[in-house]
Parts: sequence; structure tokens; C-alpha cells
Amino acid sequence: MPYLADVELPAEALEVAFVRSPFAHAAFGAIPDAVAFSAWPRPQPGRARYAGEPVALCWAATRAEAEDAAEAAEVEWEPLEPAAPTTFFERTFDSGGVDELLAGAARVFEGEFTAARQTPLPLEARGVIAWPRDGRIELWTSTQVPHVVREHVAQTLGIEEDLIRVRVPEVGGGFGLKAHVFAEEVALAAAARATGRVLRWVEDRTENLLASAHAHDTTVGLRLGVDAEGRFLAVDAEASADVGAYSLHPFTASLEPATCAQTLFAPYAVRALRWRARALSSHRCPVGAYRGVGMDAAVHATERLVDEVAAGLGIDPLELRLRNAHPVVPVTTAGGRALDSGDYPRLLRDLAERAGYEQLLRERAEARAQGRWFGIGIGFFNEHSGTGRSDYRRRGVTTIPGVDAARIQVTEGGRLVISTSAAEAGQGHAATYRRLAARELGVLPELVDVVEGDTDVAPFGSGTFASRGAVGVTEAVVRCLRRVAAADLAPGTDVVETVDATQIYPAGAHLAVAEVDPVSLVARVTRYVAVEDVGTILEPELVDAQVRGGVAMGIGDVLLSEHVYSEDGQLRTATLLDYLVPLASDVPPVEIHHIESPSPHTTLGSKGVGEAGTVGAFGAVSNAVADAVRSQGAKLTRLPYSPARIYEALGEKKMAPPRG
Amino acid sequence: MNLALTVNGQAWSGEVEPRLSLADLLRERLRLTGTHLGCEQGPCGACTVLLDDEAVRSCLLLAVQADGHAVTTAEGVDLDLGPVFQCGFCRPGFTVTAEALRRAGLPASEEALSGNICRCTGYGPIVDAVRRCLT
Repeated sequence: MPYLADVELPAEALEVAFVRSPFAHAAFGAIPDAVAFSAWPRPQPGRARYAGEPVALCWAATRAEAEDAAEAAEVEWEPLEPAAPTTFFERTFDSGGVDELLAGAARVFEGEFTAARQTPLPLEARGVIAWPRDGRIELWTSTQVPHVVREHVAQTLGIEEDLIRVRVPEVGGGFGLKAHVFAEEVALAAAARATGRVLRWVEDRTENLLASAHAHDTTVGLRLGVDAEGRFLAVDAEASADVGAYSLHPFTASLEPATCAQTLFAPYAVRALRWRARALSSHRCPVGAYRGVGMDAAVHATERLVDEVAAGLGIDPLELRLRNAHPVVPVTTAGGRALDSGDYPRLLRDLAERAGYEQLLRERAEARAQGRWFGIGIGFFNEHSGTGRSDYRRRGVTTIPGVDAARIQVTEGGRLVISTSAAEAGQGHAATYRRLAARELGVLPELVDVVEGDTDVAPFGSGTFASRGAVGVTEAVVRCLRRVAAADLAPGTDVVETVDATQIYPAGAHLAVAEVDPVSLVARVTRYVAVEDVGTILEPELVDAQVRGGVAMGIGDVLLSEHVYSEDGQLRTATLLDYLVPLASDVPPVEIHHIESPSPHTTLGSKGVGEAGTVGAFGAVSNAVADAVRSQGAKLTRLPYSPARIYEALGEKKMAPPRG
Repeated sequence: MNLALTVNGQAWSGEVEPRLSLADLLRERLRLTGTHLGCEQGPCGACTVLLDDEAVRSCLLLAVQADGHAVTTAEGVDLDLGPVFQCGFCRPGFTVTAEALRRAGLPASEEALSGNICRCTGYGPIVDAVRRCLT
């Protein structure tokens, strides 16, 4: 399959460029020589709410000419004062008992921790081709959610879903970015319907950084009461996310703060929990899904506070975690999470053994005696994966299908055709299904064809996000395979299974070693050990590839990546020279180990693995860097832990001679 | 402007706009879509090609700057880094960078491969693959 920009088009195809708002908030009049996409529903037409927001599109034979036209479009802009923030979403949770336990606590630790505004940044940016064919629109789009795109584009245009066929080319990375439906997809479909022409828009990196979807930008305030032995009693939390100008489809503005609040302290046996989660608007790019979503901010906040407690009480951070981890799983947490399986103390003990924790403590003491800023950090976490329809509906989210589906056909020639509602972006779906078929049916993998990303062929379902591949999607495939086995692989067999998966809680314990250069204040991760429990492992190499890539992404998110806006709402980080991501020289080898506690919620026991690496790194890397500079009197709380942030945190001490 | 160059050993000449980038010449005119565009700002390295023996960003070079030179794209490189990628979008850039190291007789290292961004793999498997190819 070609990537979107490589799809062969007819010679008469046109290239699209968008007219984008130069202002963070502005009204605009009619736009001549460009088609304002009236099909896109706006609460107040003629209003742009963030710099980079698309307001119209232009087309020409080449992209350069289309950009010329977009630049020449005479838009009457009327800059406006910023609007006051709107509360897009607010929810509270209270287990009861928090005030009493905090009042009776031996000590109460407080902290405020901020996850930076970031962006998923797949190496291939977005792109859309709208191709009128046989009275329908064939919409090629680089997406993780083909059926969600079909449904939303059709609804927005007010046409039957049958009139849209979504096709997904090879996808050059998604990481959550491509799990949304964007204005550009709707606009191209509308324009192609209006003109009958084949239209293509290939997003450039500036557009991608400015106006696709951002992530996180979440501040978590925590109060934790502990008893005299350091046992966690109660947590009072507030998670507040700046979600930008719009609530993105399908996850809505609730995604980041709700996910964050639900994840706080979930691996620990706290007795009481209260939280308030809020999503506030601003004149910035909308915030959406990015690998780990609010779990990243939650694990950063939780694990940083746990290390501050350990330092405050003089208890080793590993020992403090062992003392507070759920001693037995399954268990329902104070926050109401029904943790399905696992062995939390064993995760921590395995981590200590695999990493050689005692030896590392000695190395740290030696390094510090030499004046080196050397730190060790643990990230202990659980996450939720595979969220199903019933879970979304309970949360009040109706815009996500939630189900996952598979269809298997046995052809007359004896081949097996597996199609699913998922969409591949390099995770290895096809290889996984082929080997599942071989295992379940004894067929040769090369006799299995896999089709994803074509809404005319694949069964209806959610797509690929929330680590659902090894949960609902695999479950649907396995159920189909067993029905095909029961039919004795008879040619003509055609089965479909749709699964409403129960949310699962994979868990893990990570350890990072970091060193901060006392002169440049650059932090480097020098060693990384991950112990994961993602349930039964289906494909060891693919699972480790997800963990390793996820950890690398997390290292970048903790040390490097941050979107910055000017006071007047202009993005200052619209190039990859300004928005930094990790390079080969930034990532150490990732040592990956597993314990496998099968989930009772899936036939094979698998739990999903797409996000675990990143979520764990938010705890382990941030604590390692914080540990390295704690000896210098600095306390880090705001991501990324860049040289500038470390410099700020050092305060008075930063002028001291660098070496001792 | 008139432009004459060789691409993967084959001569090509034609009229091009002065503003046409080398990447767009390769991708849109010659339909050599193995050269990927990841940023058009320089840092990502997905569009790396060889200009004679030197690795360059084809997105930052104007096509006319390649006049009289030999351009080699991923399609013209006989190096297979194997199944170490995930989404694969960075593969052509790493492949051409590896070829540049090979031609210069330089070893693979994390630093030598830090001009190419990969968002999927965490780099370790790619660095190992380039090492295998160059030894």
C-alpha cells in the first residue's frame, strides 16, 4: 500500500491548500477566490478561535500554486480580544472519607505537577484525498478510525453514510493524532462533492504543529495524607487541562482531564480518593489523544509526589512503593477501578532484581561523591486499555463506537480473508492475525489475507486507539476463528463478531537512570529497565517493539517536547527545530522484561500494549532527573525537564561552581 | 530553468520552476515516491538523498542546485535494513544515510544516525540494522 501522498491520482486531480487564521481570535468576512467550507458546522460562522485554524480552502494544479492562492486570498480579518475560558467539561468523584483521613494523617504532602502541551507528531503528517466515483466520495485519509470518519463526515454533510467510502492507505504513524476526525477531512469531501474533482491535501509539518491536535497541557494538584509508616491514606486531587479552542471529535474535551483524574494513584491501596477534573478552553490548538493521553500526566504527578514523600520521610522510593502497592489483585480501587489481574509487589521486586537496584544505589553514591548529578527513578503504574462501548456510554461519551469487530471469510479457493475494524499504522496487525489463524486453525499464514481500513469491506467498529488491538480486536478475531474451526473451514463460511470489550488494566514498573550535566544542565537517560504485565503475550517481538518505541517517546516527552505560545496566541514552536523530539543519541537500550498474568476479560488473556511504554516513562524518567538534581536543592514539577526548567528550579544555587 | 542531472544512474533533463525543490522534482515529476517528506524544515531526514556521495535534505535543496550532479534516492540504494521498522515512513531516509556512511567508510553509531527521526521504534533496532549492513 502506498502512503497517502504516494497514491496514484488521475492527471486532472487538484492540490488543496488551506487559508488559516493568522490571529488567535478574529472575525472574518467573505473570502473571494476561495471556497469557504460552509459544510463545516461552526457555532458562530466567520469566527476563528486559534492561530492556524483553517477557514477556507483553495485548489490548483500544484500545491505551490494552491498555496499562492491561499496566500493571495483577501480575507478581511478583524482581530478580537481573547474570550474568557469556557468550561467544556467538569466532573467530580468522591469515595468519601477524604477529609477525615487527611485530618488524621501523620503528614500531608502537597504538590502541583504540570504535563506540557505536546503533540503526537507521527513522522507522516495528515493527508486526505477526496475522489468522486460512481456517485459516491472515496475518501482516502491517513487515519486510525475509518468508520468514525465515515460516520462523522456523512453526518456533517447531511448525507447517507453509504455515499462515503473511507479508504486508509499505508499510515506513517498515528499515536492518537489520527484517531480524530478533522475539519480538513470534512472540507475535502464537501469540496469534491461540490466540484466533482479529485482533490488532495497533504499536510505540511508547519500545519501539523500549528493546527492538527495538541496533547496534555494538564496541571494536577495533589494532597496526599500518609500515616507514620508512610502508608498512603487519602488523596485529594484536581486535574485541569487547557484543551484549546474546540472539543475534538470523537473523544471530546473530556478525554485528557477525565483520563488523568481516573488514573491518579490507581496502583496504590489508598483508602479514600476525591478528584475534580476540568477542561478549559483557550485560543490554542485543540487538545486530543496522544499515546497514554491523561495517564501520562497522572503518572507523572503521582510518581513525582511519591518520590517527594519518600525523600520527605527518608524511606527508599522502592520500599515506599512496595508498602503501598495493592497487595492483591483483582481489587477495586478507591477510585472505582476494577483491576482485573496482576501481581503488583512482584512487578516491583522483579524490577529491583532486573535492574540490580542495590548495586545502582552504590553507583549513585560513588557518582555523587565525584560531584556528578546522578539520579535513579521508578515509574510504577497501571493504565486502562481496550475501553468498550458500555464503558464509554457509562461515562456519557456517545461519539465513540466503542465496539471492535472482525469478519472472516473462507474463499472457494480455500484462502482465509480476515478483515477487522482496526487500522494499521505499523503495529503488526496482519502478522498477528496470520499467526493467530495458524495457531487456532493450523492453516499456513501465507493462506491468510488481511484487509483493514476500507469501510466497504471491513466490519463496523472503533478503529485503533486506547491499546485496543490485543483487547477487543483480537477478541473478535479469535471468536471468528473458533467459529470457522467449528464450520471445519468450509469454503463459503462467512462470520462476523462484534465485541464490546471490558476495560482492562495492564500494569508495569519501570526504572530509569539519568545524569544531568552540571554545566549544560542537559539530562540524559543512561539506562532503562521496564517490567511489564500486558497479560498473555501474543507476539513477543511486536510487544517489545511497542514498549521500546513507547519508552523512547516518553523519554522525549519528559526531557524535550513542549509547545509554547506567545502572549498573543502565536505558536512559537511550529518547526522541528523548535519542537524537539528524541533522536537516536537520546535513547539508551531499553531492557524489557515481562510477567504474564492473563486478563480474565479476553479469551487469550492479552491486555493491550500500545501505550504502556510511554506511560511508565513519564514516571521513571521524571523521577530519575528529579533525583539527580534533588541533591542540588532543586525540585522539578513542570515538564519537560529541560535545561531551562532545571535552571529555574536550581534558583539561587545555579550560580554556584558546577563541580565540587 | 533548464536542468540536467542523473537520478539513480539515469540521465534526466527538463524545464523546471526555479522554486521547485529537489524533493518535489523526484516525487511529483519523476514519481520516485520512495523519498518521503516528513517536515520540509530540515530536521527529520525522511527526504535524505545522495548528491554525488553526500547525504543531503532533498526538501531544502532546490532542484536547480542539483544541476550537473548525480542524485541517488532510496530506490537506487542496494541496502536492505530489514524488518526493523514499524510504520516505515523513515525507512528511505535511514537507508540513504546508511549508504552515505558506507560510501564514506564510516561506522554506524547513534550519533551518525541522529540526523533521521523515527517516532516508532526507539531507534535501537534501526541502529543495529545499519551496523549489520555496514560490517
